[in-house]
Amino acid sequence: MNNNRLRWKSIAEFLEEIQNYNQIAGIAEIARRYFAMNAFDGVLTTIGVLAGNYLAGVRDLSVPIRTGIATSIAMGISGLWGAYLTETAERERELADLEKISLIDQSETSIGRASRFAAIVVSIVDGVAPALAAMIVLTPLFFGSLIQNPVLSYALAGGLALLSLFALGMFLGKVSEKGLIGYGFKTLLAGLAAIAINFLLGAE
Amino acid sequence: MGNLRRIVLDVLKPLEPNIVDLVRKISTLSGVEGVNITIYEIDHHVENAKITVEGEQLSYQELHDLIVENGGAVHSIDEVAAGKRTVEEVETHQDR
Repeated sequence: MNNNRLRWKSIAEFLEEIQNYNQIAGIAEIARRYFAMNAFDGVLTTIGVLAGNYLAGVRDLSVPIRTGIATSIAMGISGLWGAYLTETAERERELADLEKISLIDQSETSIGRASRFAAIVVSIVDGVAPALAAMIVLTPLFFGSLIQNPVLSYALAGGLALLSLFALGMFLGKVSEKGLIGYGFKTLLAGLAAIAINFLLGAE
Repeated sequence: MGNLRRIVLDVLKPLEPNIVDLVRKISTLSGVEGVNITIYEIDHHVENAKITVEGEQLSYQELHDLIVENGGAVHSIDEVAAGKRTVEEVETHQDR
């Protein structure tokens, strides 16, 4: 068997192997699921950070920016670690089951490699999705000096969060091959609910 | 050593990679002119396949390695043919 680490002679061969791994381990499907789920988490958490700072009367935008970045880093690390450990554990169990049935060591076969590759790809997606979503929502705060009105920056960030949620819903709608707008409104509703509850609880 | 013309294997393989991918991979091996994979039993994670490979100059080792690389296990070599032409199994009195 070819146990060479550099097993690909060209980029086309490498891509073919990735496609093969995807087919064996169903990487695209699970990565898509993790992306949607965690980007959703990222946006909603950032809505929480924004609402909390706004309701606490914080008008110095460097505070929500720092809190937001720190939160997005924490979400990224959490996603990366959590998904890697969970995926590795699940896939090791699946591989062990297969080894028990087939009576052969699957660790160095294309199935073993696909399994390890899937855990890495999925954990990267799981880590990057919430962090990226949070950073997108925070964008208006980065331009606070240009906007020159902290309340407007908060409002723009909130609007961007709702827009991101709607876009995420449309992405899910596309995945399900059902109504794009319907899914968009479902995710948008979660954002509106988060903002409404925060404001109701925070009102003096 | 004589050239192998036909190899028939009984293989236990995982459901993925599926037989469409596997048959294509086997067909790219050197000396292979034609391949057939037939599934005769399916389980929860694995399936039993009869793999028939024909060609002018087959390499059993290459075929075996490819099957193992794709997670399969060769249970038995059920039929082989070698030489200048392929000789079919002959029916004898005992087979009747």
